Amino acid sequence: MSGAAGRRTPLLDGIEKVTGRARYTADLATPDALVAAILRSPFPHAKIISIDVSAARALPGVRAVITGDDCATPYGVLPIAMNEFPLARERIRYRGEPLAAVAATDAKTAAQALRLIELRVEEIPAYYDAADARQKNAVLLHEDKPGNIEREVHQEFGDVETGFASADLVLERTYRYAEVNQAHLELNATLAEYDAERDRLTLWSSTQVPYYLHLAVARCLQLEKHQVHVIKPQVGGGFGARTEALNFEIICALLARAASGKVLLRLSREETFLTHRGRPQTEVKLKLGMRSDGRITACACEVVQRGGAYAGYGIVTILYAGALLHAIYDIPSIKYDGYRVYANLPPCGAMRGHGSVDVRHAFESLVDELAGELGLDPFAVRRANLLFAPATTPNGLRVESYGLSECLDRVEAASAWRQRRGRLGPGRGLGMACSHYVSGAAKPVHWTGEPHAVVNLRLDFDGGVTLLTGAAEIGQGSSTVMAQLAANELEIPLERIRVFAGDSMLTPKDNGSYSSRVTVMVGNATLDAARRLREKLQAALPVPNSSFDEKVAALLATEGAVTVSGSFTCPPEFQGGAHRGGAVGSTMSFSYAAQVVEVAVDVDTGIVTVEKVWVAHDCGFAINPLAVEGQVQGSISMGMGQALSEQTLHADGLPMHASMLAYGVPTIVETPPIEVHIVESLDPNGPLGAKEAGEGSLASFPPALTNAIADAIGFRAGELPVTPDRILDALTKQRRNREQIAVAQAR
Amino acid sequence: MKAFSEFMVLEPRTIEEAIAAKTEVSGSRYIAGGTDLIANLRRGLDDPTLLIDVRHISRLQSMDFTAAGLTIGSAIVLAELARDKRLRRRYPALSAAAAAVAAPAHREAATVGGNLSLDTRCLYYNESAWWREANGFCLKHRGVTCHIAPGGTRCWAAYSGDLAPALLVYRAEVEIADESGTRRVPLSELFEDDGAAHLRLAPGGLVVSVRLPHDPWPAAYAKVRLRSAIDFPLVGVAVAMRVKNKRVRDLRVALTGVASRPVLVHDTNTFVGSVLSTAALDRLCDLVQKQISPMRTTAATPFYRRRVAAVIVRRLVSELAG
Repeated sequence: MSGAAGRRTPLLDGIEKVTGRARYTADLATPDALVAAILRSPFPHAKIISIDVSAARALPGVRAVITGDDCATPYGVLPIAMNEFPLARERIRYRGEPLAAVAATDAKTAAQALRLIELRVEEIPAYYDAADARQKNAVLLHEDKPGNIEREVHQEFGDVETGFASADLVLERTYRYAEVNQAHLELNATLAEYDAERDRLTLWSSTQVPYYLHLAVARCLQLEKHQVHVIKPQVGGGFGARTEALNFEIICALLARAASGKVLLRLSREETFLTHRGRPQTEVKLKLGMRSDGRITACACEVVQRGGAYAGYGIVTILYAGALLHAIYDIPSIKYDGYRVYANLPPCGAMRGHGSVDVRHAFESLVDELAGELGLDPFAVRRANLLFAPATTPNGLRVESYGLSECLDRVEAASAWRQRRGRLGPGRGLGMACSHYVSGAAKPVHWTGEPHAVVNLRLDFDGGVTLLTGAAEIGQGSSTVMAQLAANELEIPLERIRVFAGDSMLTPKDNGSYSSRVTVMVGNATLDAARRLREKLQAALPVPNSSFDEKVAALLATEGAVTVSGSFTCPPEFQGGAHRGGAVGSTMSFSYAAQVVEVAVDVDTGIVTVEKVWVAHDCGFAINPLAVEGQVQGSISMGMGQALSEQTLHADGLPMHASMLAYGVPTIVETPPIEVHIVESLDPNGPLGAKEAGEGSLASFPPALTNAIADAIGFRAGELPVTPDRILDALTKQRRNREQIAVAQAR
Repeated sequence: MKAFSEFMVLEPRTIEEAIAAKTEVSGSRYIAGGTDLIANLRRGLDDPTLLIDVRHISRLQSMDFTAAGLTIGSAIVLAELARDKRLRRRYPALSAAAAAVAAPAHREAATVGGNLSLDTRCLYYNESAWWREANGFCLKHRGVTCHIAPGGTRCWAAYSGDLAPALLVYRAEVEIADESGTRRVPLSELFEDDGAAHLRLAPGGLVVSVRLPHDPWPAAYAKVRLRSAIDFPLVGVAVAMRVKNKRVRDLRVALTGVASRPVLVHDTNTFVGSVLSTAALDRLCDLVQKQISPMRTTAATPFYRRRVAAVIVRRLVSELAG
């Protein structure tokens, strides 16, 4: 082994990014590109009577104007829930929904053309929270969805009633979570070029899923898939905001065809927020039973998610929220009821930690509270409920490796939990929590029967190995990991590998960068390809001690340039239980994380300062420890935003958060020292034992934080974000309660 | 973010030239660092044909410590204020206020004059043109209703410059130039309690400099905001105080972020001669809270801003009392 895997390796494209040479979609427009702009609805819910674009079309410099009339084919990432049009048809369902779009010679003309479009609508009642939308007489956003419910889920595994009966303490609490957004750095952008003579379309876009984009564009433009060419340039972050084809991408493609040319569509920060696909506003009602020894006997959980105006990934999100109650602890009975609700707001999506983050906060908070009531240590309670791998959960998920126990040991020791907890002084506290996440959804949303991942390795006269992959490098380091795996298997230096990713004309199809699937699935395909290439090289020159270059020369002499293909498919036994929705949550392996958070609470201003985080993440095997640390740190940062300061706010459906100033992503000033511990449980399914590293640590941050706040000031946050005014209100309430008790006792 | 309309940029070398351009060209605006103005232009809150960049006027670029006090040109950048060791020693509240504005990159561009004449801010105003139109505009810009207090006739947008409260407790004067000449007035006279027209400047009026007295009282500045960088103050407080034999000799308190102009708290002289007991501090906090009226212009509640205003007052006074 050359040892390329397991080594701290700076990302291959780091130099371009640091020096500013990296080219993102918006950098690719040539001077002949037309400028596009979108007319967005000022109305939250309305029937479209007419959209008159004649004056806009007549404006000199305008090359194309399109409306919902130009695309009658709905799209959506789930084949069973395609109910969105790139431009609204007949009905408007949220403020900011695209209604018409213009391509013009310059931005000024495009803006002027938008002002010339005349819109006539009939407004209808709009709903901004799940309870209102679920009211009996509420107008339906989608006629086929009674009660404005996109999907109801009811599952019970084990006998919950008996479980609660055998508990020594049962607590039930309700938790509320604000909607959050990814606030990814690169603004949404698409460049589209239509070749009218050949009826072909080329698309460059800021996407995590070039293949799904390819399918959606071909579908909406009614082109054959071979007429479309999708290229993914550098992408500045995703976090699930770009895990499905989005309206602006299809709009740009439609405009390019309508204008018979090249069109650049760049969204503003406000428009990027309006495109949304963040984590839904969620209410979690959770009931847990615990024995006095800390064993959890039963769990009943009801989740209501306000999903926004269209389906998107909604069905998957509400299923994940229930499925991932499993596979972290050994819980004998779990009942889950989920409701995904439509409302007149931008659609939610598959945000980092998809479906698991809010429920995990509720769970870890309530476990902490139960532990407190029963006089048990939070670590001891987790240890009383550990799984033992290999295990199959009641809902049919497979756990082949399980490093949670070691994660607990590592952060307990590193934070000096036993020595320091309860001894930090007033206003300071320590809290802990655990989390987990899938390493790739084992059943892809588009079922084709094809392998889940394919990688090609190309070898030619220069002796370099070109790795061709459709996996979308979006800053997470996937290309570097693939290069490391290939170099490791071929026993050559990393520099011999060149990764070419994300071009549908050259790279094998890949489902994309979501559900933390790339390291495991594409990694296994990479190893498969590398093994095949190595075997070919060995067969060409079966001489002991012959060098790589000698083998290459021998192989090329017989075959010429060589391309080998490797693939990976998740075996059926890992594709989930037989119950309805059982595929969601299914995966080849789960990552595990535990963390301890130390806080200081200013009891006069309510401001919470995160002093330090100790986090241990079980990623199976760290192919690139440097990137694992970066991913874990990023998860902490994102969790901190959701826990403390980030939330979307709407005034009658208008976003009050749609700028980086208003939205409140934590800055480097708020970011504490984060001590990352990597735990390697060596999963039998992973490439060299690897599992995911990009999502699993996120969900344990918010509960570890609020558990630390509870330790510091005795207030258990049932609502995120836990902003300073909420802390002050809670402290005031505490003081009043104490005074009332004192008065009562005095009597 | 909206594309700019076309505009010209003028770089005058003298105050007179600047004022002449401003009064002659309708729709012209002064600009220095642009950290406030450019963001607002990008949101379509104005559409100037001419930007007059005042940073090339040498009088606006000087900072002079003299026997009479300190004069700071309005085009001095905040980073320079924050870096200046003499300022930190003699006028620590001003130094702290400058260092607390936005983030380092903003402070390298943002100026004293720009921060003083910062536009007022509101949830319903600092939004895109599409947003404001969808919301029926507002009293401050193109509309007739203040969404903060729809029944009223005034705009409640909040002033949130950090320097003003510090300068107010130092009894700073501001030098203003306009067509009628140059005059020096107490800083408080620059401001009006009206979110839609909070600066009392004649057409062409330009803040030239601020002057601080040579014998400043000990003073301090602190602010509360959601994040510890970048964000505007939810409330900012400056306190200047002299204490003799544990009794208050002089006391001035000023706040930002809680009204449409910076608020210099009146009747603080009633504390002269008192010992700063807990009861006295309680009374002072009551006095402050009575004179501020934060409205729902930020995502944080007015109730929270009133509460922490008192917290900061108490902390700064205790700190200065030693």
